[in-house]
Amino acid sequence: MAPGSKGDTALAASSAEGDAIKVFVRVRPLEEGTVLADNGLCLSVLSSNTIRLNSKPEPKIFTFDHVADVDTTQESVFSSVAKKIVESCMNGYNGTIFAYGQTGSGKTFTMMGPPDSDNFTHNLRGVIPRSFEYLFFLIEREKEKAGAEKSFLCKCSFIEIYNEQLFDLLDSASAGLFLREHITKGVFVVGAVEQVLTSAAEAYKVLTTGWRNRRVASTSMNRESSRSHAVFTITVESMEKTNDVMNIRSSLLNLVDLAGSERQKDTHTEGVRLKEAGNINRSLSCLGQVITALVDVGNGKQRHICYRDSRLTFLLRDSLGGNAKTCIIANINPGSRCFGETLSTLNFAQRAKLIKNKAVINEDTQGNVK
Amino acid sequence: MATPAEWASLCEKFRSAVNLSYVESKKDPETEPYRSKYSARELLEGIKQQLGSEEAEGSPGGVGGGAAGADERERQRAVALAAVEYELGVNHTDTQEYSAGEEHLVKCAQLLEPHRLSRECVSLYIQAQNNLGILWSERDNIKTAQTYLESAEALYNQYMKENGNPPLDSSEHFMDEEEKLTDQERSKRFEKVYTHTLYYLAQVYQHLEMIEKAAQYCHTTLKRQLEYSGYYPVEWALNAATLSQYYLTKQCFMESRHCLAAASVIFGQAGQVPSAEDNETEQDQQDLRQRRAEIARCWIKYCLNLLQGARKLLEDNIGELDPDRQSELKAQQKKEEDEKEEDRKKAVLFGTSDLCDSILAMEEKVSCVFPLDFKEAREVFLVGQNYVNEAKDFFQVDGYVTDHIEILQDHSALFKVLAFFEEDYERRCKMHKRRIDMLEPIYAGLNPQYYLLLSRQLQFELADTYYEMMDLKVAIGNKLEELDSHTIKKINSLAQMAMKYYELFLDSLRSPDKIFPETLEEDVLRPAMVAKFHIARLYGKLITSDGKKQLENMQTSLEYYSFLVDYCEKHTDAVQAIETELELSREMVGLLPTRMERLRAKLSTFT
Repeated sequence: MAPGSKGDTALAASSAEGDAIKVFVRVRPLEEGTVLADNGLCLSVLSSNTIRLNSKPEPKIFTFDHVADVDTTQESVFSSVAKKIVESCMNGYNGTIFAYGQTGSGKTFTMMGPPDSDNFTHNLRGVIPRSFEYLFFLIEREKEKAGAEKSFLCKCSFIEIYNEQLFDLLDSASAGLFLREHITKGVFVVGAVEQVLTSAAEAYKVLTTGWRNRRVASTSMNRESSRSHAVFTITVESMEKTNDVMNIRSSLLNLVDLAGSERQKDTHTEGVRLKEAGNINRSLSCLGQVITALVDVGNGKQRHICYRDSRLTFLLRDSLGGNAKTCIIANINPGSRCFGETLSTLNFAQRAKLIKNKAVINEDTQGNVK
Repeated sequence: MATPAEWASLCEKFRSAVNLSYVESKKDPETEPYRSKYSARELLEGIKQQLGSEEAEGSPGGVGGGAAGADERERQRAVALAAVEYELGVNHTDTQEYSAGEEHLVKCAQLLEPHRLSRECVSLYIQAQNNLGILWSERDNIKTAQTYLESAEALYNQYMKENGNPPLDSSEHFMDEEEKLTDQERSKRFEKVYTHTLYYLAQVYQHLEMIEKAAQYCHTTLKRQLEYSGYYPVEWALNAATLSQYYLTKQCFMESRHCLAAASVIFGQAGQVPSAEDNETEQDQQDLRQRRAEIARCWIKYCLNLLQGARKLLEDNIGELDPDRQSELKAQQKKEEDEKEEDRKKAVLFGTSDLCDSILAMEEKVSCVFPLDFKEAREVFLVGQNYVNEAKDFFQVDGYVTDHIEILQDHSALFKVLAFFEEDYERRCKMHKRRIDMLEPIYAGLNPQYYLLLSRQLQFELADTYYEMMDLKVAIGNKLEELDSHTIKKINSLAQMAMKYYELFLDSLRSPDKIFPETLEEDVLRPAMVAKFHIARLYGKLITSDGKKQLENMQTSLEYYSFLVDYCEKHTDAVQAIETELELSREMVGLLPTRMERLRAKLSTFT
C-alpha cells in the first residue's frame, strides 16, 4: 500500500482498470433469400476476438474484446456485454451500452429484439429488456439481503435525438428539449418525463410506448427512424440507513440505439459527428468545422473552440472518455454488398477502443523544484 | 442553330431540370431520395440529344452568315452542350455514380478547353474543375482533387489578370437575352464560385495536413465572405473567433487579435439586422447571448496566452522573473516596434474602409506584443478579466457546470500568471488567495461521479496554489530576523491544505475498494508523481518544535520519496516523465535516514 493512504476518503471514482471502452462486434446472419454469389461473404470470424475482412489485395485482421459470429444467441450477447455493466451500475457506477452500425446491420435487433412484438418474454428479446430483468433481479436480491435499511428508487427517461434536436419519447406532445448541467447531478434533459419503475414489467411498458412514439414520428413527420438516436436512461438510486446516517448512491444506465452509420445520402446535411464527415463538405456554412479541425491540432496551448459537441456526445459525455463503464456493440452485416460500410464500422470500432478515461491534469511543471 | 421555338423549349427543359435538381430534390421522400435528380437527368439527356442531333444535320437552319458566323454558332453550341454536360456530371456525382459523373465533367471541360479564358466559359469551367475536385476527394484521392482545384484557382487568377470583365454565369447559357443577368450579379456569382474553390482547397489542404496553408485558405474564405457580403454575422463571427484560436496555438498574436476584433465587430451587426419575422424567440436571444459569451472566451484565451508567452520569455530556471532578460527584451521590443508588423498586417486585414476602421479601433483595446512588466501585464490581465465576467454572465454554474468551471480555471490562470509579474510577495500571496477563493467553493459542490476530470483538475490546482502560497510565506519568513508564531502557524496551515488536496487527488485514482493502482495510467502518471513528490517536500517543510513530531514528519517524507524511487524501479518507462523529481527523491532517500539518525541521537541525549 502506498504511503499516506488513508483509505477513508470515499470518492466514487473509477479505477484505471476497465475505463477503456469495451468493444464487441456482432455479425448478423445474412437475410433469408440472399443469393450467395461467389460465397457472398466479405468476412470471417477467426476466433472469439478476431475477425478477418476479405479486403483486396490484402485481407485485414481486426481484434476486439469479443467477436460474436452469426449463431450467437441474444442471451449470450447479454451476458458477455451488458451483465457486468448492469452490475457495476448497482455499485454506483454510470454505465452505457451503445449499438453502432449501418442501417440493417442489426442494432435494433440487438438492443430491442425482433420488431412488432410488445411482449419481451420470448427468447429473442434484446439487450435492453434483458438489462431490465437483470437490474430488478439484482435489486430484489439486494433488498432481501439488507432488509429494511436499504431501499431503491428507479426512474427512467427515453429521449430521441434527431437533427440535433431533442424529443421526449415518453411525451409525444413535447418538443424542443434542452440539455443542461447540474453541479451534483451531471448532464440532464430539461423537462424530460421521468417515470418511476418498480419492476421489469413496468420498464417494458415504458419502453414499448416510447418505441412506438419513435416509429409514429418516423412516418408522420417524414423522419426516418434510422436517422435518429434513441437513448433510454435508467437512474438507480439506493438509500442505505446506517446509524441514522442516510447514504445515498445514484448511477445512470444509458442504453443507446444509434442512428445508422452509413454515409448520409444527402451530402449537404450534417452527418453523425461520431463518424468522420465526408471528404469535402460543400456547404460554406460548415467552414467552422474545417477551422475547428485546424485548432484541434493545437499543441497543448490554451484555446477555446466555439463549436459545442453534438447533442449526443454532450448527453453521453461521461460515457465517451468520462467516468463510466462503456461498451460499444458494433453490428455488421457480412454480405459482400456491405463491404464498404462494414470496413468503416470496424475502423470506427477500432478507434473507439482507444478512447480512455482522459483525466488530463493541468499540471504546471514550472517552479516545482526549488 | 435551332429555331426560336425549339430553342425556347430547350431553355424551358433546362430550367425545369435545374429546378428539379436543386429545389425539388430537397423534398424527395426518404424511400426515393434521388427521384427528382433522376427526372432532372432525363430532361438533361433529352437536351443533350437535341443539341447533338443538330450537329449531325450540320445546322441547316442557320442564317447564311459566312464562316465566321458558323464558327460562332458552333462555339455557342459547344458551350451550351458543356453546360448540359456539367449539370449531368453534378447530377451523377450527387447520386453517387462517380464514374459517370466524371465522364460528364471531363467532357464539359474538354468542350470548354479552347475557350476557357472567355467571358462565356470561365465560370462554367471553374465549376467543372471544382466538381472534379469534389469527386476525386470522394474517391479518397485527395492529391488528384488538389490538382483540379489548384488549376481552377490558377484559371481564376489568370482570367482576372487578362480580362477581368464580369463573366457569364453558368445558368445563362440557356437564357433568353432579356433574362440575362446584370454585370453586378454576374460578378457576384463568379466571385462566389471562386470562393468555393478556395473553401474546397482549404479542406483539401487540411486533409493533406498542410495545416498552415489550410488556415490561410480559411482566412481568405472568411475575408471574401465579408467582401462579397455572403455571410451570416453570427456564423462569420464564430468562425473568425475559432480561427483566432488557431493563430494562438501558433503564437501569432497579431493575427489572432485581428480575427477576434473582427469577430466582435461583425457579431455586433447580428443584433442590428432585423430577423426575417422580426419576432425573435427567447431561444434565439439565448443562442445569441451564448455566442457572445463564446467569443468572450476566445478573448480570455488570447489574454492568457499572451501573458503566459511573456512569462516563458522572462523567467529564469527557477521560474522567477529574470531582470536582465527583462531589460534586454524591452530594448529589443522598442527597436522592432512597428517594423515588420505593418507588412504582415496588410496580408490578413478583414473588411474595407468603415468596417476596417471599427475593427482597428477594437484592436487598440489590447496589446498584441508580450507585456514585459507588471504594468503592461496588468493591462492585459484586466481585459481578460472583463471577458471572464462577460462569459460568466452567460455560462452560469446552474446549467453550464463544465463551461462555468472552465472559465473559473481561466480566471485563476490569469491571476497566476499576473502574480509572476508582481514583485511584492505579500501582494503576490493575495493574488493566489483570490484563486483559492474562487475555486474552493465550486470544488466543494462538485460531484466527482459526473465531473471526475474537472474535480481532479481542481484538486490539483488548489493543492498547487496552497503549495505556492506556502513557498511565498517561507520566503517572506526568511527575510525576518526570527520566525514569529503567526508566520509559523500560517506556513503550517498552508502546507496542510496543500497536502489535503494532493491526497484528495491521489485518492481519486484509487479503485472502488480503495486500492491505489499498481501501475498508473499514462495521463495521470506525472501529476500523481508530482503530487507524491510535493507531499514529501511539504512534510519536510512543516515546522515544529516537537522533536518527536519532527522525526515523524521526516519518516513520512521519506516514505513518499521512496514511493517515487520504488515506482520508477518497477516501471522504468516512468523515469523520463519525472526525471528531475526522481533525481531529487533519490538524493533525499539517501540523506534522510542519516538526518533522522542524527535527530534521534540528539533527542535521546535530552531525555
